[in-house]
Amino acid sequence: MKYNLWFGIYEDGRVDKSSNLEESFLNAENEEPLPFSISEVGIEVFGGKTGYYASLRKVALAVAERLVERELRKEDRYVVALVKALEEVEEAINMLNEKLEDIRTVKDTEIAADFENKIEELKNLRKKIEREIEEIMTKIAPNLTEIAGAKVAAKLLERAGSMERFVKLPASKIQVIGAEKSLYKAFARMKRGKKAKIPKHGIIFLHPFIRTLPKSKRGKMARFLAAKIAIAAKIDYFRGEVDESLYESLRKRYEELRRK
Amino acid sequence: MKLEKVMRNVYLTDGMLVTKSRYGSHYGEKVFDGFREWIPWRSKLAAMILKGYTIDFKGEEKVLYLGAASGTTLSHLADIIDEGFIYAVEYAAKPFEKLLELVRERNNIIPLLFDASKPWKYSGIVEKVDFIYQDIAQKNQVDILERNTEFFLKKGGEILIMVKARSIDSTVEPEEVFDNVLKKIKSRFKVMKHGNLEPYHKDHLFVHAKLF
Repeated sequence: MKYNLWFGIYEDGRVDKSSNLEESFLNAENEEPLPFSISEVGIEVFGGKTGYYASLRKVALAVAERLVERELRKEDRYVVALVKALEEVEEAINMLNEKLEDIRTVKDTEIAADFENKIEELKNLRKKIEREIEEIMTKIAPNLTEIAGAKVAAKLLERAGSMERFVKLPASKIQVIGAEKSLYKAFARMKRGKKAKIPKHGIIFLHPFIRTLPKSKRGKMARFLAAKIAIAAKIDYFRGEVDESLYESLRKRYEELRRK
Repeated sequence: MKLEKVMRNVYLTDGMLVTKSRYGSHYGEKVFDGFREWIPWRSKLAAMILKGYTIDFKGEEKVLYLGAASGTTLSHLADIIDEGFIYAVEYAAKPFEKLLELVRERNNIIPLLFDASKPWKYSGIVEKVDFIYQDIAQKNQVDILERNTEFFLKKGGEILIMVKARSIDSTVEPEEVFDNVLKKIKSRFKVMKHGNLEPYHKDHLFVHAKLF
């Protein structure tokens, strides 16, 4: 009988020690309980009790850290769900506000006050969701969040569906996410040989660096911002370190465009 | 400071339960003069001990801990089993991140990010243990305990299980759930003691038993 142990394969009283302990650790699966003492075998293999447990702890920790990291990347799905929920809550607040106004113009009653309380509650919920989104975005994509702001970053992520898909998007696509309707309309016009206005920005228009520029310069800024967002997302996903130069270059470009 | 010894490395001082520890705070508990406060509202094991039930640990046991979560109870158990080893199993990544902080500062915890209901997955890692502690609020938690017992508990080894009535069956009275759990455990173990955890944890039962 062969048995899979975290430090190798055990067969007929002999151990074929694994060259990759993290891999054998994850494959240490056996249908039946081991008919021998794994620690006794291991202590012999590692030349002592101290060595055995120190190695076991080290490998277990390394594997756990890797798995946790991978697992926590799923947090992006949570953000996607939160963004969707947030949009619904926002819509509800707007709609209820309208109805409240309708009631108020006719008669100010107790019901109107109740309405107002409910709207207040929803606003608190909105704030809570926004804070949660910000917290998670900062954790899973610090560079992206720094560059785009939590709100824009989360909305872009929601449209992409996941970080994995987001990092595969080219900057030119990121630039117009959220403006698909006018983009495809423009494409259709071009096909027919007509003049068309291609949108300069979608969701990223919400970014203060674009919103606050004169119309003629927004296109340039949007292109630049989208490029930096694409880079930031890739750094977050693949490298996981904070790169401060990104925000700096973005601010510089903004100042430049504003002065011109 | 007056200290009254309760069990290995566990003391009572002014009605407060503490463990002897050379480590810092892990979950917001108070730390003073080499002791860490053990909060019964946060840890079911602390609640059990405060209610007067103790476990006779020697400190060099091998323990399998199922459902270690973020390591609140585990941190104190690691203070007690200071010369042994604890295999800590938890399936959720988020709390495990916190648990890993504990693993990094101590050297007697082996972290296992595995599903406790599938013990064969870690059968080539965990050795035969003296003690299984289980705190996983799941419907089939007794089955999970039995499966792990089969794989890992030594003959004569002990178990301590924390049962949450509501997660096993919320439609019947807790007493009924507890009766069923006890019956199930008695078929394989000799029950040494059991009781509730009021007022710290509502509708919870602990069972301390020994494998035949």
